[in-house]
Amino acid sequence: MSLALDVAAGAVGGGTSILYAALGETISERAGIINLGTEGCMLVGALTGYAVAAMSGNPWIGVVAGAGAGGALAALHAMLVIERKASQLASGLVMLFLGLGITSLFGGSFVSRTIHAFTPIALPGLSRIPGLGKILFNHDPLTYLSFLAAPAIWWLLFRSRWGLLIRGAGERGEVLAAYGYSPKLIQYLAVVAGGALAGVGGAQLSTAYANSWFEGMTAGRGFIAVALVIFAGWDPLKAVAGAYLFGAALALSPALQARGYALNQFALDALPYVITILVLVFLSRKRLHAAPEGLIRTLANAPVR
Amino acid sequence: MSVISSALRPPKLRSAGREAGRLALAFAGALVVFGAFVIAKGANPLTVYSDMVRSTFLNSNSIAGVLVKACPLILGALAVAVPARAGLVNVGGEGQIVIGAVAAGGVALALDTHLPGGMVILLMMLAGAAAGALWAGIAGLLRLTLRVNEAISTLLLNYVAIDILLYLIYQPWKDMHGSGQPVTRQLAVAARLPLIGGTQVHFGIFIAIAATLVIWFLMERTSWGFRLRVVGGNSEAARRAGLPVSALLLSAMLVGGALAGLGGMVHYAGAELQLRAGMTANLGYIAFLASWLARHKPIRVAVAALLLASIAVAGDSLQINSALPAATVNVLMGLVLVAVMGGWGLRKKAVVA
Amino acid sequence: MRARRVVAALSAVVALVGAACSSNVSSGAGSGPSSSSSATGAPGLGGSAIGFIFVGPKNDFGYNQAAYDGSQAVKAAYPNLKVLTAENVPEDDNATRVMNSMISQGAKIIFATSYGHLNPAEAVAAQHPDVVVVQQGNLIPTSTAIPKNMGTYFGTVYEPVYLAGIAAGKATKTNKLGYVYAFPISQSIDNIDAFELGAQSVNPAAKTSVVNTSAWCDPGKQTLAASSLLSQGVDVITQHQDCTSTIIKATEAAGKYSVGYHADASSLAPKGWLTGSEWNWGPLYTDIVKTVLAGSFTGSKYNANYRVGYKTGDNPFVQSKFGPSVSDDTKALIATAKTALGQPDGSPFKGPVMDQSGKVIPGFEAGKVPDYATIESLTTFVQGIVGQIPKS
Repeated sequence: MSLALDVAAGAVGGGTSILYAALGETISERAGIINLGTEGCMLVGALTGYAVAAMSGNPWIGVVAGAGAGGALAALHAMLVIERKASQLASGLVMLFLGLGITSLFGGSFVSRTIHAFTPIALPGLSRIPGLGKILFNHDPLTYLSFLAAPAIWWLLFRSRWGLLIRGAGERGEVLAAYGYSPKLIQYLAVVAGGALAGVGGAQLSTAYANSWFEGMTAGRGFIAVALVIFAGWDPLKAVAGAYLFGAALALSPALQARGYALNQFALDALPYVITILVLVFLSRKRLHAAPEGLIRTLANAPVR
Repeated sequence: MSVISSALRPPKLRSAGREAGRLALAFAGALVVFGAFVIAKGANPLTVYSDMVRSTFLNSNSIAGVLVKACPLILGALAVAVPARAGLVNVGGEGQIVIGAVAAGGVALALDTHLPGGMVILLMMLAGAAAGALWAGIAGLLRLTLRVNEAISTLLLNYVAIDILLYLIYQPWKDMHGSGQPVTRQLAVAARLPLIGGTQVHFGIFIAIAATLVIWFLMERTSWGFRLRVVGGNSEAARRAGLPVSALLLSAMLVGGALAGLGGMVHYAGAELQLRAGMTANLGYIAFLASWLARHKPIRVAVAALLLASIAVAGDSLQINSALPAATVNVLMGLVLVAVMGGWGLRKKAVVA
Repeated sequence: MRARRVVAALSAVVALVGAACSSNVSSGAGSGPSSSSSATGAPGLGGSAIGFIFVGPKNDFGYNQAAYDGSQAVKAAYPNLKVLTAENVPEDDNATRVMNSMISQGAKIIFATSYGHLNPAEAVAAQHPDVVVVQQGNLIPTSTAIPKNMGTYFGTVYEPVYLAGIAAGKATKTNKLGYVYAFPISQSIDNIDAFELGAQSVNPAAKTSVVNTSAWCDPGKQTLAASSLLSQGVDVITQHQDCTSTIIKATEAAGKYSVGYHADASSLAPKGWLTGSEWNWGPLYTDIVKTVLAGSFTGSKYNANYRVGYKTGDNPFVQSKFGPSVSDDTKALIATAKTALGQPDGSPFKGPVMDQSGKVIPGFEAGKVPDYATIESLTTFVQGIVGQIPKS
């Protein structure tokens, strides 16, 4: 039982940074724009968050700055794909390399810095609930915030006027234009919001979860987030489940090892991706239905000119 | 403008010249912005650039390094270009390179001390290409039978391939007599791709060049290539015209995957000589960018791959001469690509105008 | 038109291949195996630079930073020589190329500072008999003769780790110690074993739980590893990772004890810091360079698998300072143990050493004092360690 508790708590803790990035990518893809550079946005968010936290002495300012950095990189992506009609996939990959490079260039001096990091806060009352208390209610404030962010983004996308516009931009931009809205502007906002959330995810990793900055510290979590969005069928609530599933796959191995068992981590690591592919296979029609139409068009049309 | 008409339009000399000019301009722009980064790090951009050119292009060792790096990049980029002609997006070069290297490694571990080296090399090439084709073929089949988008499935399959590699090198294939590092033993000397003229450059560069020419010929001079372009232009019209669209799409994926798998084999048997974690280091993604940069035209794709390989090797100089961090070269590559992408919009406007 | 472009592109590639081959031939006259320079001069002489390659970032607050600091000590000692450094050099043909670049810029001495740089280092040494290539931490297989221009060097890392184990064994209240490592390489196995043996020597009930992260620096995985250990009641954590601050901060935040590695991180754990082991490469690097420049590298102690420890008193791996909670008793125990390690029969692995099933490990029988090579080829965990080595 304690193993299950450990893995579940580890899944929530380790899955949070992925969750933020996945929530952001959901918004972006709902508006019809995929950002393969989510990893890059997370990295600039992680470094900026840590650096600003170190300089300002306040991790909250760091997180806001991290969001800004992730959003700024995503804005470049948005400009290239919306204004310059660049290939979304190619442009996203460029953002990845830019993120890797810029954080390496400017990150070195922050490796040995310390910050006032976010620390886990046991929520009064709730943390006493047997099992659930340990799993859900003994985390850093950014993790709690993610509990709220997921339903809020679901509400934004599916119950608010903004959501209608975002999904409209992703499905039928021309209809939106006919009603006097600028699909371009909405796409810009969605992509930037997506990058900002990825930046928050990176900052959660550096200022709360790992409490440190190292080059390349996101170690592929941004790509996991992109896969996760598909796994979750572009639904923020299902993304929560997916993030914790991916997080659990990461958490199982150390939890087993600490109890004296060995296991080959990699069969486990591959599992989320295999499951995602299987989900696509078995629910293909439904999934296809769930995918924003603009995104389908994007992915279907190779940039052959 | 329809894709078919653009594909069939004869190339114009003047537009080619203008394009080269724009490319040069984009490149210059990227260098200026990168110079600002360099200044921010307290280095002199002029010194940095002159050192970079000197130690990358005027040095046999670095030129060799460029060519070694270019081998898997060229093959990986062609692996993107072929499906792209048919309107398919292959983001799975990374995984197909990995799985090709894994297959070649498997063949080598089983046979390299039992068979003559040339035979092992041949078998490794076949195994690498077959594995890459299989990996891309999965995505192709999913697309054709279940309409699973191939951009998404190839991306996901990258991770599965990398995890297969890691699984193998951590347990069954780990070098028993080694130091405990998760790597396979070194490939037998006889089974390595021969080096050219005492340099680090291996025979793989000829494989890459040959593949480029073959793909160019297939794309531009055969009915298969023509049909792929028609399918890529408008698959519905192609279907109505009686073309076997599904078979064509699948063939494009298989050929692409085989090329990337071959790239993995070449990288393994020519440069790495053992399977290890991180051996591909985003090669597949850089290859994707190379193909995209060259708009999926085979010869240009190879040149673009060579360019990106040069930038990667130029990163050595950023470190050794200018003491900048290693990954700084990613900024340079990113900026060049951003500039070229930005320039694309100009091109289109120019065409419309 | 199209055909012309094909020809142009092709000839460019051919020209590049040609350039790579031909200019190598010309430079080969000076540096090739057939050259006369290697016969007349000792390897490593006549250079204008010294090259260092690191596998990770040079400011990782860990292994690579320690090596980088060592390179800067060389720079200070030899102001007339350029010190060329390259970080994040993968352990493959990229390393070969970077080392070759350094050589073409005048380097005649190369330090390849990562365990996995051995194969590229051997390739470069074979290609350039006039250049001395020394590799940090790995072993040139004794089955092959060691080339005249090569060597490996390292400290006996497990000695200070053994002493730190004593501090851990005395500090633990739960008798559960934790060790986070990256890969089951022999160096890590030695450290883990020595840590447990040190703890056992003062606290027979102490057990060490091990978790591997399969990465030299993935802070997310390190956090998970630390929290998994902490949730099992572990109250002292140490590690063999390239970047170390994440685990130390997590342990400190949980109010538990830290034992450092690679660098003095006591500032990160003002309360829980016990002690640790850290590198001081400067003197050894400088001495290697001095030997090479004296023209006496070949046949010297560095032209071998050079290992140095407490017996000779110049271990580049030194004990970090003690934290506030370490008692004078413990300090005295450690001082005694350190003296013992310096004796001819002193070793953390003095027999008998038992494996996890209680059987004596071959080569470590009662009364035996295993040599460095035997210790560095250990592939088993000792009794008292909780956890398994991922099997081959």
